Amino acid sequence: MNDAGGNGSAEDLARAAAIAIERYSLAYSTAAGPFHALKSVSLTIPQGRTVGLVGESGSGKTSLAWAIMRYLPPNAVEGPGVIRLGGENLIEKSPAEIASIRGRRISMVFQDPSASLNPTLRIGDQISEVLMRHQKLTQKEALEEAAAALERTGIHRPRDIMRRYPHQASGGEKQRVVLATAFACGPECIIFDEPTTALDVITARQILDLFVRLRDDTGVSALYISHDLALVSRIAHEVAVIREGEIVERGRPAELFSSPKRDYTRALIAAAPRPENRLVTSRIAPAAEPLLSVRKANVRFGQPTRLQRLLGQTRAPVDALKSVAITVRPGEILGIVGESGSGKSTLARVIAGLQDFTGEIGFADRRFARRPDLDRSYRRSVQIIFQHPDASLNPRQRVKTILSRPLRLYDLARRGEIEDRVASLLSRVLLPANFSTRYPHQLSGGEKQRVAIARAFAAEPKLVVCDEITSSLDVSVQASIARLLVEIQAATRAACIFITHDLNLVRQLAHRIGVMNRGELVDMFETGDVNAADRHPYTRELMEAVAVPPWG
Amino acid sequence: MRDLLRHPTGVVGASLLLVIFLAVVAGPSLAPYDPQSFHPQARLQGPSATFWLGTDQFGRDVLSRILHGARATVLFGLGATLAGVSVGALIGITAGVAGRWIDSLIMRLLDGMLAVPDLLFTLLIVTVIGSSTGNAMLAVAVAFSPGMARIARSAVLSVRTRDFVQAAIARGESRAYIIGAEVLPNTIGPVIVEASIRVSFAIMLGATLGFLGLGAQPPSTEWGLMIAEARQFMFRNPWCVAAPGLAIAIAALGFNLFGDALRDILDPRGRR
Amino acid sequence: MNAAYFVRRLVAVLLVLLTVSLAVFVITMILPGNAAVMILGEYATEDQLRALSEELGLDRPWHVQYLGWLGGMLAGDWGMSMRLSLPVTTVIGEAFWRSAALAAGALATVSIIAIPLGVAAAMRRGTGLDLGIGLFAYLGTAVPEFVTATLLLIFLAGPSSGLFPAGGYIPADKSLPGFLYHMVLPVATLSLILTAHIVRQVRSEMSDVLGSDYVRAARLKGLSEREVILRHALPNALAPAVAVISLDVGYLLGGILVVEEVFAWPGLGRLIIYALQNRDLPVIQAATLTLAATYALSNLVSDIVIAVLDPRVRYA
Repeated sequence: MNDAGGNGSAEDLARAAAIAIERYSLAYSTAAGPFHALKSVSLTIPQGRTVGLVGESGSGKTSLAWAIMRYLPPNAVEGPGVIRLGGENLIEKSPAEIASIRGRRISMVFQDPSASLNPTLRIGDQISEVLMRHQKLTQKEALEEAAAALERTGIHRPRDIMRRYPHQASGGEKQRVVLATAFACGPECIIFDEPTTALDVITARQILDLFVRLRDDTGVSALYISHDLALVSRIAHEVAVIREGEIVERGRPAELFSSPKRDYTRALIAAAPRPENRLVTSRIAPAAEPLLSVRKANVRFGQPTRLQRLLGQTRAPVDALKSVAITVRPGEILGIVGESGSGKSTLARVIAGLQDFTGEIGFADRRFARRPDLDRSYRRSVQIIFQHPDASLNPRQRVKTILSRPLRLYDLARRGEIEDRVASLLSRVLLPANFSTRYPHQLSGGEKQRVAIARAFAAEPKLVVCDEITSSLDVSVQASIARLLVEIQAATRAACIFITHDLNLVRQLAHRIGVMNRGELVDMFETGDVNAADRHPYTRELMEAVAVPPWG
Repeated sequence: MRDLLRHPTGVVGASLLLVIFLAVVAGPSLAPYDPQSFHPQARLQGPSATFWLGTDQFGRDVLSRILHGARATVLFGLGATLAGVSVGALIGITAGVAGRWIDSLIMRLLDGMLAVPDLLFTLLIVTVIGSSTGNAMLAVAVAFSPGMARIARSAVLSVRTRDFVQAAIARGESRAYIIGAEVLPNTIGPVIVEASIRVSFAIMLGATLGFLGLGAQPPSTEWGLMIAEARQFMFRNPWCVAAPGLAIAIAALGFNLFGDALRDILDPRGRR
Repeated sequence: MNAAYFVRRLVAVLLVLLTVSLAVFVITMILPGNAAVMILGEYATEDQLRALSEELGLDRPWHVQYLGWLGGMLAGDWGMSMRLSLPVTTVIGEAFWRSAALAAGALATVSIIAIPLGVAAAMRRGTGLDLGIGLFAYLGTAVPEFVTATLLLIFLAGPSSGLFPAGGYIPADKSLPGFLYHMVLPVATLSLILTAHIVRQVRSEMSDVLGSDYVRAARLKGLSEREVILRHALPNALAPAVAVISLDVGYLLGGILVVEEVFAWPGLGRLIIYALQNRDLPVIQAATLTLAATYALSNLVSDIVIAVLDPRVRYA
């Protein structure tokens, strides 16, 4: 399983290796003893080929990238093994030689372009400095070459972008800058560390396509690190699955998907949401009386006050929601998808009573025209669960306090019953009863999210708004949380608004799907009609951008 | 608490504080001599076997005076800070919770008060109401309030936007509950950190006032006052100045390091 | 750079000074009940009190007093010093420049020493150098100015060493070397403390920045360590450091009070203490406002420096 070269074709074997890692081990010495990040790992990246490295957080995939770039912290202890670049052992090289290699022969593309660009330096300078350092160009020559490199990444007016500072560029533009910098000196190999994870779906797809085009044009070797097996399988010639510092399986993407040999690989494949795996089985009568109906909801941020207008500070206000109208039927799961800035979170907050709005909210047979009108009965019936598990629980309260609060507030249990009710809530979200004495910092991300779900359902609501509740979790945890939500929803027959950017996930569990773009609801359809002819062009764009798992 | 011990600055700070508190609590009983008694034969001597830190111009034992003065100096710092923190936190939390125009008004007033340097503010007040330890404490408390109010306000503002507070608002919790159960417990952290560091400033301010004759008055053995009294003879026996100076530094350093370690522990982002 | 930003900050400074003037006025004129009693002391006779009250206009309603006083200040009429029989403007004017000389000396010294020390400490985290610099920085912020000043006096100006004068002042036009000679110890005291504060901030911010993603990205581009530090790390560390340091300036302005007192340097600080001890009301008020204005303006300057260093603030 760990043989170098894996299941490559004869042609691959004949290629020289751009990077060859042979039985390399890495450990970090910590106060709690040595932590073995990599255990005798062997991996070969043939010239001109892309190797995908797939693993979850803590698997060691990032450590491998640092090891290749020779950027290890002082407490790193390297075991036996070699890392060869074009035949030369990088481990034996001096710091000066490594500095000369970085950026020139191996470069790296990071996950978050906002964090990896210097906020106080112009964009153009950040590309040109690499050229000036390695190719000894003058500043003028380097800037010209930088403009050419940017143009190759699809930016049409490179000089404009080069004059700007990073905070004045969009996420997609910044990632193109990072790509341009990485390709600038014509390296032998580029390491990509989750380059599209921090980007919106459509932008991510564009960057992915750009990556494929550039690597085909230049013939560069690439190590593509990701947690997304489906995505990697579309662009890599070979995929290696890493878990807890060991490579558990490797092979060509088609074979890996069609006949995975290891349980872990199977689990990873299964965890990625696939639209065909419907999680909900109930059907909702299309003509059912709506539980919630929102009409002409408008939210405007940044309306200048009189004083500001007097001082001439007129910054254009932002319309986060433009005349949005949606309905939710009882017991239905309504999915809302959109990219960042689409207004989906604002909509969630309006419905949950956290955001002032103009328009009307109709719930059961009541009508509310303003936020202050939303009374306790409404607030009990409509609950919200947030995205970040770390932020949604009060760090100073124990789990039992957190869960008993809705029971007390809405008089749902007598004093003596509270402890039992808390225990039953915990068991409903598959957590042991003794968790009730724990503090949030003693729980994992997934466990915290379960508590948040329990808290929402403790109030026995009729509608639960889920604002990207799986987006901050690991892939395997995401699947279990999604399943849990569907189970509870089916058991309690509460309606649910499930907001996400993950189109595959929403197709798994929603009855109907709404699509939002720039504050407007542009499309609404039954899940089964996702590919119908009358879909909005933006919906189609989203569908095309999403990487659907190709096999299985 | 265990985290504190793992922090080098915390360990040093806590050890210094232990020494200081020992002096405050048990100082007078540990002192070998009466701080006011003269030993005319042994004036302005350096450290010796009989007088571990030497004697001053009247032959009084410096070590005993320092041990006695711990109370005056340190309790001054603690008292003034406690008063300033209480008032300041109250104002800051009110501003942060009330929001809108009340908040703006309070902030403008605070900005004005913060524009006057602490020492000057304190001197102004003390001149007006008279020089004594109590008045000096009041003056320092008043000078500290705007700064503490600022800290408390920003802590409240940052907690207000956190998701668990939003969840409480969405549930329809009453204002009182939200402030009491969700906001306040999470605001205390930054306030306590700032308060610990401020104690060190209060100690230094108190000593400065004592030095200028505007704080503690004789026959108090407050450390700043000791240095003022020893000034004329400082060339003959530098220990009269160095010893209380060191004592002040140890006290201020202890609280400073302790506060810094607290901040590192409570900061969720964790500075590396 | 945004002109509107600058104007807004200037307006804020003026508002702040207005508030300060009100506070100073209230504290000095209103609180004591009868300012005349405070000035003349408890043993003044009725006639003396009445005469002074009339002279100062203390029988008018307080807001009238305040506006009259404020109007005078703005028009440049700062009144007459009660003790020195000189116009307050003259007295404060001379004293201000003498204090400014000390401040300038301290700032110059500090600019050369403090930032490199902070950077060096951050780059060699955990080594002996870092610990040593850290210790110095912590001590410097824990020792009050009067202690540092007195210790410097003992060791450098005492009869045994006699390297520097034990205080005093010689006007620059009389003897420049003498002027500078007397400046050394007070400037040294201020510099020590300023350096400690600045080193602490720079060390802390620099540490953070050195661990940031963009510094890592710069290193992984193969840039030399020197380029990484100067182009990528330092500019990002300085902006937040400046923000915090400007808060310390207020604390240090208080330090000038003490330093001038210990070294008998006749600057603004010493003047204030003298005025406070002698209840010279007009001088107290005007000097306090001057110091507050200096502090507020220094904050404005630091805001501008931050805007220069951080384009996110410039092009918000």
